[in-house]
Amino acid sequence: MNSVGEECTDMKREYDQCFNRWFAEKFLKGEGSGDPCTELFQRYRLCVQKAIKDKDIPVDGVEFMGPNKDKPDGDGS
Amino acid sequence: MKIWSSEHVFSHPWDTVIKAAMRKYPNPMNPCVVGVDVVDRSLDNQGRLHSHRLLSTEWGLPSLVRAILGSSRTLTYINEHSVVDPVEKKMVLCSTNLSLTNLVSVDERLVYTPHPENPEETILNQEAIITVKGVSLSSYLEGLMANTISSNAKKVSICCRILPKHRDFNSIY
Repeated sequence: MNSVGEECTDMKREYDQCFNRWFAEKFLKGEGSGDPCTELFQRYRLCVQKAIKDKDIPVDGVEFMGPNKDKPDGDGS
Repeated sequence: MKIWSSEHVFSHPWDTVIKAAMRKYPNPMNPCVVGVDVVDRSLDNQGRLHSHRLLSTEWGLPSLVRAILGSSRTLTYINEHSVVDPVEKKMVLCSTNLSLTNLVSVDERLVYTPHPENPEETILNQEAIITVKGVSLSSYLEGLMANTISSNAKKVSICCRILPKHRDFNSIY
Protein backbone atom coordinates (compact mmCIF):
# COMPACT_ATOMS: atom_id res chain seq x y z
CA MET A 1 0.00 0.00 0.00
CA ASN A 2 1.35 3.38 -0.97
CA SER A 3 1.52 6.68 0.82
CA VAL A 4 0.11 9.91 -0.58
CA GLY A 5 3.72 11.09 -0.66
CA GLU A 6 5.91 8.73 -2.65
CA GLU A 7 8.88 9.59 -0.46
CA CYS A 8 6.90 8.46 2.64
CA THR A 9 5.99 4.98 1.43
CA ASP A 10 8.98 3.18 2.95
CA MET A 11 8.45 4.91 6.31
CA LYS A 12 4.75 4.08 6.12
CA ARG A 13 5.42 0.38 5.53
CA GLU A 14 7.90 0.22 8.38
CA TYR A 15 5.42 1.94 10.71
CA ASP A 16 2.44 -0.16 9.54
CA GLN A 17 4.33 -3.37 10.21
CA CYS A 18 5.21 -2.21 13.72
CA PHE A 19 1.69 -0.93 14.40
CA ASN A 20 -0.09 -4.02 13.06
CA ARG A 21 1.96 -6.28 15.32
CA TRP A 22 1.31 -4.12 18.38
CA PHE A 23 -2.40 -3.77 17.52
CA ALA A 24 -2.95 -7.51 17.13
CA GLU A 25 -0.63 -8.83 19.83
CA LYS A 26 -1.01 -6.20 22.54
CA PHE A 27 -3.76 -3.64 22.03
CA LEU A 28 -6.64 -6.00 21.22
CA LYS A 29 -5.59 -8.19 24.15
CA GLY A 30 -5.94 -5.28 26.53
CA GLU A 31 -2.23 -4.44 26.82
CA GLY A 32 -2.54 -1.04 25.18
CA SER A 33 0.11 0.89 27.08
CA GLY A 34 3.63 1.28 25.75
CA ASP A 35 3.14 1.66 22.02
CA PRO A 36 6.61 0.76 20.66
CA CYS A 37 5.99 2.46 17.30
CA THR A 38 5.91 6.10 18.42
CA GLU A 39 9.27 7.05 16.95
CA LEU A 40 8.54 5.43 13.59
CA PHE A 41 5.15 7.17 13.56
CA GLN A 42 6.52 10.63 14.26
CA ARG A 43 8.99 10.32 11.40
CA TYR A 44 6.35 9.01 8.98
CA ARG A 45 3.76 11.54 10.14
CA LEU A 46 6.02 14.51 9.45
CA CYS A 47 6.59 13.20 5.94
CA VAL A 48 2.85 12.68 5.30
CA GLN A 49 1.93 16.09 6.66
CA LYS A 50 4.41 17.71 4.32
CA ALA A 51 3.01 15.71 1.36
CA ILE A 52 -0.57 16.70 2.29
CA LYS A 53 0.48 20.35 2.41
CA ASP A 54 2.39 20.15 -0.87
CA LYS A 55 -0.56 18.53 -2.63
CA ASP A 56 -3.08 20.96 -1.10
CA ILE A 57 -5.31 18.22 0.28
CA PRO A 58 -7.86 19.86 2.59
CA VAL A 59 -7.38 17.56 5.58
CA ASP A 60 -7.12 20.06 8.43
CA GLY A 61 -10.23 21.40 10.10
CA VAL A 62 -12.50 18.65 8.85
CA GLU A 63 -15.17 17.41 11.22
CA PHE A 64 -15.28 13.66 11.81
CA MET A 65 -18.82 13.36 13.01
CA GLY A 66 -20.03 11.12 10.22
CA PRO A 67 -23.67 10.93 9.15
CA ASN A 68 -24.96 11.90 12.60
CA LYS A 69 -23.36 15.33 12.58
CA ASP A 70 -26.66 17.16 12.10
CA LYS A 71 -28.50 15.34 14.85
CA PRO A 72 -29.13 17.37 18.01
CA ASP A 73 -28.10 14.46 20.24
CA GLY A 74 -24.48 14.68 19.10
CA ASP A 75 -21.69 15.80 21.40
CA GLY A 76 -22.66 19.43 21.00
CA SER A 77 -19.84 20.45 18.69
CA MET B 1 -30.10 12.63 -0.82
CA LYS B 2 -29.95 8.88 -0.60
CA ILE B 3 -29.59 6.90 2.58
CA TRP B 4 -28.29 3.38 2.43
CA SER B 5 -27.82 0.96 5.28
CA SER B 6 -27.11 -2.71 5.81
CA GLU B 7 -26.20 -5.25 8.43
CA HIS B 8 -23.79 -8.10 7.99
CA VAL B 9 -22.85 -10.95 10.33
CA PHE B 10 -19.30 -12.31 10.13
CA SER B 11 -18.67 -15.88 11.29
CA HIS B 12 -15.56 -14.79 13.17
CA PRO B 13 -14.91 -13.34 16.62
CA TRP B 14 -14.70 -9.57 16.97
CA ASP B 15 -10.88 -9.46 17.39
CA THR B 16 -10.33 -11.34 14.13
CA VAL B 17 -12.73 -9.12 12.19
CA ILE B 18 -11.17 -5.93 13.59
CA LYS B 19 -7.67 -7.07 12.62
CA ALA B 20 -8.91 -7.68 9.08
CA ALA B 21 -10.86 -4.40 9.00
CA MET B 22 -7.79 -2.37 10.02
CA ARG B 23 -5.75 -3.99 7.25
CA LYS B 24 -8.28 -4.30 4.49
CA TYR B 25 -6.17 -2.32 2.00
CA PRO B 26 -4.53 -3.12 -0.35
CA ASN B 27 -7.48 -5.12 -1.40
CA PRO B 28 -7.73 -6.85 -4.78
CA MET B 29 -11.51 -6.69 -4.48
CA ASN B 30 -11.46 -2.91 -4.12
CA PRO B 31 -8.51 -1.76 -6.21
CA CYS B 32 -9.74 1.86 -6.34
CA VAL B 33 -8.07 2.49 -2.95
CA VAL B 34 -4.51 3.24 -4.03
CA GLY B 35 -3.13 4.79 -0.86
CA VAL B 36 -3.73 4.80 2.88
CA ASP B 37 -1.98 7.13 5.31
CA VAL B 38 -2.25 7.61 9.03
CA VAL B 39 -2.47 11.34 9.67
CA ASP B 40 -2.88 11.05 13.41
CA ARG B 41 -3.29 8.29 15.95
CA SER B 42 -3.59 8.32 19.72
CA LEU B 43 -4.87 6.48 22.76
CA ASP B 44 -7.38 8.31 24.97
CA ASN B 45 -7.56 8.03 28.75
CA GLN B 46 -10.11 5.22 28.47
CA GLY B 47 -7.70 3.10 26.44
CA ARG B 48 -9.49 3.61 23.12
CA LEU B 49 -7.44 3.95 19.95
CA HIS B 50 -8.32 6.91 17.72
CA SER B 51 -7.01 6.84 14.16
CA HIS B 52 -7.32 9.53 11.54
CA ARG B 53 -6.48 8.18 8.10
CA LEU B 54 -6.38 9.63 4.63
CA LEU B 55 -7.42 7.30 1.82
CA SER B 56 -6.43 8.03 -1.77
CA THR B 57 -8.86 6.55 -4.26
CA GLU B 58 -9.20 6.28 -8.01
CA TRP B 59 -12.90 6.37 -8.78
CA GLY B 60 -13.98 4.42 -11.80
CA LEU B 61 -16.54 6.99 -12.93
CA PRO B 62 -17.84 6.51 -16.46
CA SER B 63 -16.24 8.96 -18.89
CA LEU B 64 -19.66 10.49 -19.65
CA VAL B 65 -20.17 11.34 -15.98
CA ARG B 66 -16.63 12.73 -15.80
CA ALA B 67 -17.39 14.92 -18.79
CA ILE B 68 -20.60 16.21 -17.20
CA LEU B 69 -18.87 16.91 -13.89
CA GLY B 70 -16.21 18.76 -15.81
CA SER B 71 -13.55 17.09 -13.77
CA SER B 72 -10.65 15.22 -15.21
CA ARG B 73 -9.47 14.39 -11.72
CA THR B 74 -10.12 10.81 -10.87
CA LEU B 75 -7.85 10.76 -7.84
CA THR B 76 -9.99 11.65 -4.86
CA TYR B 77 -9.34 11.70 -1.14
CA ILE B 78 -11.33 10.33 1.76
CA ASN B 79 -11.03 11.26 5.40
CA GLU B 80 -11.52 8.40 7.82
CA HIS B 81 -11.79 8.54 11.60
CA SER B 82 -12.02 5.37 13.64
CA VAL B 83 -12.24 4.52 17.33
CA VAL B 84 -11.45 1.04 18.61
CA ASP B 85 -12.50 0.18 22.15
CA PRO B 86 -10.84 -3.14 23.12
CA VAL B 87 -12.70 -3.36 26.45
CA GLU B 88 -16.22 -2.72 25.20
CA LYS B 89 -15.30 -4.54 21.96
CA LYS B 90 -16.61 -1.90 19.62
CA MET B 91 -15.14 -0.26 16.53
CA VAL B 92 -16.76 2.79 14.95
CA LEU B 93 -15.46 4.09 11.64
CA CYS B 94 -16.70 7.28 9.96
CA SER B 95 -15.56 8.42 6.57
CA THR B 96 -16.30 11.34 4.31
CA ASN B 97 -14.96 12.54 0.98
CA LEU B 98 -12.51 15.45 0.86
CA SER B 99 -12.51 15.86 -2.91
CA LEU B 100 -15.35 17.03 -5.15
CA THR B 101 -17.24 18.21 -2.06
CA ASN B 102 -18.93 20.95 -4.09
CA LEU B 103 -20.55 18.17 -6.15
CA VAL B 104 -21.10 15.28 -3.82
CA SER B 105 -20.79 14.27 -0.21
CA VAL B 106 -20.62 10.68 0.94
CA ASP B 107 -20.77 10.13 4.70
CA GLU B 108 -20.33 6.56 5.75
CA ARG B 109 -20.49 5.03 9.23
CA LEU B 110 -19.53 1.48 10.16
CA VAL B 111 -19.97 -0.10 13.58
CA TYR B 112 -18.47 -3.49 14.44
CA THR B 113 -19.70 -5.22 17.60
CA PRO B 114 -19.70 -8.82 18.83
CA HIS B 115 -22.94 -10.69 18.21
CA PRO B 116 -24.94 -10.37 21.45
CA GLU B 117 -25.87 -14.05 21.44
CA ASN B 118 -22.76 -15.61 19.90
CA PRO B 119 -19.27 -14.29 20.75
CA GLU B 120 -17.87 -16.25 17.80
CA GLU B 121 -19.72 -13.89 15.44
CA THR B 122 -19.45 -10.17 14.71
CA ILE B 123 -22.09 -7.75 13.49
CA LEU B 124 -21.29 -4.91 11.10
CA ASN B 125 -23.84 -2.13 10.82
CA GLN B 126 -23.15 0.14 7.88
CA GLU B 127 -24.91 3.29 6.78
CA ALA B 128 -24.12 5.84 4.12
CA ILE B 129 -25.67 9.17 3.27
CA ILE B 130 -25.02 10.33 -0.27
CA THR B 131 -25.86 13.84 -1.39
CA VAL B 132 -25.18 15.11 -4.88
CA LYS B 133 -25.37 18.87 -5.21
CA GLY B 134 -26.46 21.05 -8.06
CA VAL B 135 -26.13 18.52 -10.84
CA SER B 136 -29.14 17.61 -12.93
CA LEU B 137 -28.10 13.99 -12.93
CA SER B 138 -27.99 13.91 -9.14
CA SER B 139 -30.37 11.02 -8.58
CA TYR B 140 -28.50 8.96 -11.17
CA LEU B 141 -25.16 9.70 -9.50
CA GLU B 142 -26.51 9.02 -6.02
CA GLY B 143 -27.82 5.68 -7.21
CA LEU B 144 -24.50 4.92 -8.87
CA MET B 145 -22.57 5.64 -5.67
CA ALA B 146 -25.02 3.73 -3.48
CA ASN B 147 -24.56 0.76 -5.80
CA THR B 148 -20.78 1.09 -5.51
CA ILE B 149 -20.93 1.22 -1.71
CA SER B 150 -23.32 -1.70 -1.64
CA SER B 151 -21.13 -3.72 -3.97
CA ASN B 152 -17.99 -2.87 -1.97
CA ALA B 153 -19.75 -3.85 1.25
CA LYS B 154 -20.38 -7.29 -0.20
CA LYS B 155 -16.71 -7.52 -1.21
CA VAL B 156 -15.65 -6.56 2.32
CA SER B 157 -17.86 -9.33 3.61
CA ILE B 158 -16.24 -11.80 1.26
CA CYS B 159 -12.76 -10.50 2.07
CA CYS B 160 -13.29 -10.71 5.78
CA ARG B 161 -14.45 -14.28 5.35
CA ILE B 162 -11.40 -15.10 3.24
CA LEU B 163 -8.71 -13.16 5.11
CA PRO B 164 -8.71 -14.90 8.48
CA LYS B 165 -8.63 -18.31 6.82
CA HIS B 166 -6.08 -17.88 4.11
CA ARG B 167 -3.81 -15.01 4.89
CA ASP B 168 -1.04 -14.33 7.27
CA PHE B 169 -2.02 -10.88 8.51
CA ASN B 170 1.57 -9.74 8.77
CA SER B 171 2.10 -10.29 5.08
CA ILE B 172 -0.69 -8.02 3.91
CA TYR B 173 1.29 -4.80 4.11
